Amino acid sequence: MDSIVILFISGLLGLFVGMQKKPLFSIIIASLGLIGAGVAAYFKGSYVSPFASYAAFIPTQGLVIILLCTVTLLAMLGGYKRYKSDDEHTGDYFALILFSLCGAIIMAQPNDLMLFFIGLEILSIPIYVLVGIEKGSSRSAEAAVKYFFTGSFASAILLFGIGLLYGATGSFQIIEIQSNLAIGIWQSPMAIIGSLFLLAGFTFKIGAVPFHFWGPDVYDGASNAVLMYMSTVVKIAGIYAIINVFGQVFRDSYAFWIDLICIIIVLSMFYGYITAWKQTSFRRLIAYSSIANAGLMLFALADIHNSNIFLFVTAYALSTIAMVVVNSAVNDDTDSLANWEGIAWRNPLVGVALVLALFSLAGIPPLAGFFGKFSLLWSAAPHVPYTAILALIASVIGAFVYLRLMISALKKPKVTLPIHLSFEQVLVLVLTSLATLGALYFI
Amino acid sequence: MALILLPLVFSLVAWFIPSNITRIFGLIASAITLVVSSVAVCYFEPSEHLLIDFGLRFVRFSIDSLGFTMILLTNAVIFLVFLSNFKRSITNEKRFTALAFLMQFGLLGVFTTNTILGFYIFWELTLLPIFLILYWFGSFDKPRALLQFFLYTLLGSLAMLLSVIGLMHATNQQTYEALLAADLSSLGNTSIFLMGGFLLAFAVKIPLFPFHTWQAETYTKAPTAGTMLLSAIMLKMALFGLLKWVLPIFDGVATDFWRWPIITLGIIGVVYGAVVAIRQQDLKTLFAYASLSHLGLIAAALMLNNFDTNQIAVVQIVNHSIVSIGLFLAAGIIEQRLGTRELGQLGGIAKVAPRFAFWFAVLTFVSLSVPFTAGFIGEFFLIKALFSANALTGFLASTTLVLGAVYMLKAYQAPMFGPTINATFEDLHWSEIAVFAILSIAAIYLGLAPQCLTDFVAHSLPQPTH
Repeated sequence: MDSIVILFISGLLGLFVGMQKKPLFSIIIASLGLIGAGVAAYFKGSYVSPFASYAAFIPTQGLVIILLCTVTLLAMLGGYKRYKSDDEHTGDYFALILFSLCGAIIMAQPNDLMLFFIGLEILSIPIYVLVGIEKGSSRSAEAAVKYFFTGSFASAILLFGIGLLYGATGSFQIIEIQSNLAIGIWQSPMAIIGSLFLLAGFTFKIGAVPFHFWGPDVYDGASNAVLMYMSTVVKIAGIYAIINVFGQVFRDSYAFWIDLICIIIVLSMFYGYITAWKQTSFRRLIAYSSIANAGLMLFALADIHNSNIFLFVTAYALSTIAMVVVNSAVNDDTDSLANWEGIAWRNPLVGVALVLALFSLAGIPPLAGFFGKFSLLWSAAPHVPYTAILALIASVIGAFVYLRLMISALKKPKVTLPIHLSFEQVLVLVLTSLATLGALYFI
Repeated sequence: MALILLPLVFSLVAWFIPSNITRIFGLIASAITLVVSSVAVCYFEPSEHLLIDFGLRFVRFSIDSLGFTMILLTNAVIFLVFLSNFKRSITNEKRFTALAFLMQFGLLGVFTTNTILGFYIFWELTLLPIFLILYWFGSFDKPRALLQFFLYTLLGSLAMLLSVIGLMHATNQQTYEALLAADLSSLGNTSIFLMGGFLLAFAVKIPLFPFHTWQAETYTKAPTAGTMLLSAIMLKMALFGLLKWVLPIFDGVATDFWRWPIITLGIIGVVYGAVVAIRQQDLKTLFAYASLSHLGLIAAALMLNNFDTNQIAVVQIVNHSIVSIGLFLAAGIIEQRLGTRELGQLGGIAKVAPRFAFWFAVLTFVSLSVPFTAGFIGEFFLIKALFSANALTGFLASTTLVLGAVYMLKAYQAPMFGPTINATFEDLHWSEIAVFAILSIAAIYLGLAPQCLTDFVAHSLPQPTH
């Protein structure tokens, strides 16, 4: 709760500071807010928060908050160049991101479905705005509108699901719903339909098949800077929420929904990776890769007592941010994969960061992506062995998507035009690379 | 500890040294690793284990005599790769030097690790450098062939990953000794599937018959140094895994189930590889199929899981490394000097380059497994073991001797004798002579005294129960 307060205050401060039209001040305020929120989450256990009575609603684990804050910080720094260029609104953008992060933190580990829904909306509404920041571009506007309509629809479905659950159990509290469902109510049509609606809403938020259709268009229309944030934080918050809700509320109907989840996993992975194969636009490729990764993340539901999702989402976020930063450095306008040819030669740091990010996404040890995938499958494989086998076949296709990208990036060009990275981009690339390698610590 | 970490250090250092001494750095650094490991072997008591623990949770190292054999082999191969490519531009590249040492690190990890997950991690780690080496220095005009190589290996390794997870869940153990002691008989059919995952990964790497299609194209398009690394040492990871990990751990129902399928595939590989090799016009493709034939034999014999055969299989593994370095070096030399590997366009090199003709001949004979070379010991005993298991298998396996003679003599005779098509042929550089000499001496020494290797290895090979 302290973290949310700190984030909110720094967001407000950022709005005022933003009036000075000094982007540097804005980013400093925002970064301090993020770091402060992370630190507050870290020290949460050691003192009694003045919000203890409210904090009972949100028993968020410190680690998840720290992860969300770190990822947001990286995404913010990586996109700083873009945000800076529009200095009239830099402060607004950062405030929007921080407010949205508050929602993500509330949503990630809810204790109460109503609160969860509020968190979800706080997370989503600033993003609807952020997607449309390319004001001159009709595609950006289209993406924003599309995201807004589909997102509202998904929220409505989710709310309907929550309402049905309330009708079935008479409570919004997760613990109460669970104990009511446990005595057999979960078999009532109302509860079952409610859980299906909730699942649909969640699937939409994390962008898995069959509610993935908004992904490519929205990612394509959003600018790189926003993409860094929305392709990582939203997914992390969404997956933690789904783990908490399904792992706790619907613990008893596990046998009922796990088959559904397995189908979603397999479809998402195959659809995402196979479609990513033929993309020519980088952001669309990232969109399809994120659909497939959303499928992989759902493996966390297979073992509800022990979902080792943390490493996987961290690795995914690090690699995605590194790639999008590189993309924003090489082609912010055209977004064509053809421009990726030979970029590893144009700047050694870009080369190293890309190789690490792509190998990590492909799941080659000893990088973070491998340990993420390993720990996910480690807990999931005994429960859903056949899905795990299919998922591995799909990840071979996925590895190809990433290797193809790498091959084109590593191709030695005839003329090398160096890429100039700004300081914060260098910082982000160095940090993501170090963290991707840092997974060695877990062996 | 230095034994394992030294290559990693070199691989990092290689990025930072000035490019004009890269070549010398690579040679000297690889020589250092070779010397260090040789010294370590001298102080090593074969019946003991050398435990190395960095305090990591999933990866620990324990070197036994088989591990030491493979370490020596790896370090020697890396050294020979640097030495034989001394005159080529590839060793002047920082990237190649760094990647080759990274590869060496991965290989040493595979051969020394004590935990099943460590085995998988290092196994995959070797993919990273070989992919970059093949891509940067190979002549893949389209990435298709390279991606095909990757499709196969990744599919295999991911199947292995599932098996590793399954095995760790089933036994609740991760170290080699504990897995050996664990009783898998209660698993029933599951253990067959688990072993199948491992075997798929190995079958792609070895390669066994239906999984070999990546091999020829990758070998021909790869740079000579890359082909050497691939065939001389990377493929040995699979045989090593079969010998040290899979067969002893799954000894019982699973091994009995897979024995004859794998032997059949191996034997098909032996005959098929040899027949296809005879028809080849490209020298590297020919050697690639020859490699398929030889390795099929080793894999088939290993599946017998017989203590004596396993010892001899180690000899044959070492021998195959020797042969493949030598032959691919010869092919590389011809290609470098003449720009072609087509047998039809070569001829009469022996007259122009007598030293090359001599050493190539020696290596051809080693590859033919004439008596007093390591190949003779290896093939003779492996075929004998297959023969005593099943006469038909033994008979088919023994065709490798005859067919091998056909394609090897063709590969030697066509470029070396006949009308002189290639009048100018620069004879061998000292570094190349050194490589050929080392290889020949090693092959002949092993052929005369194989017991020095078999006795050394025998300490760490598990005694089969039957």
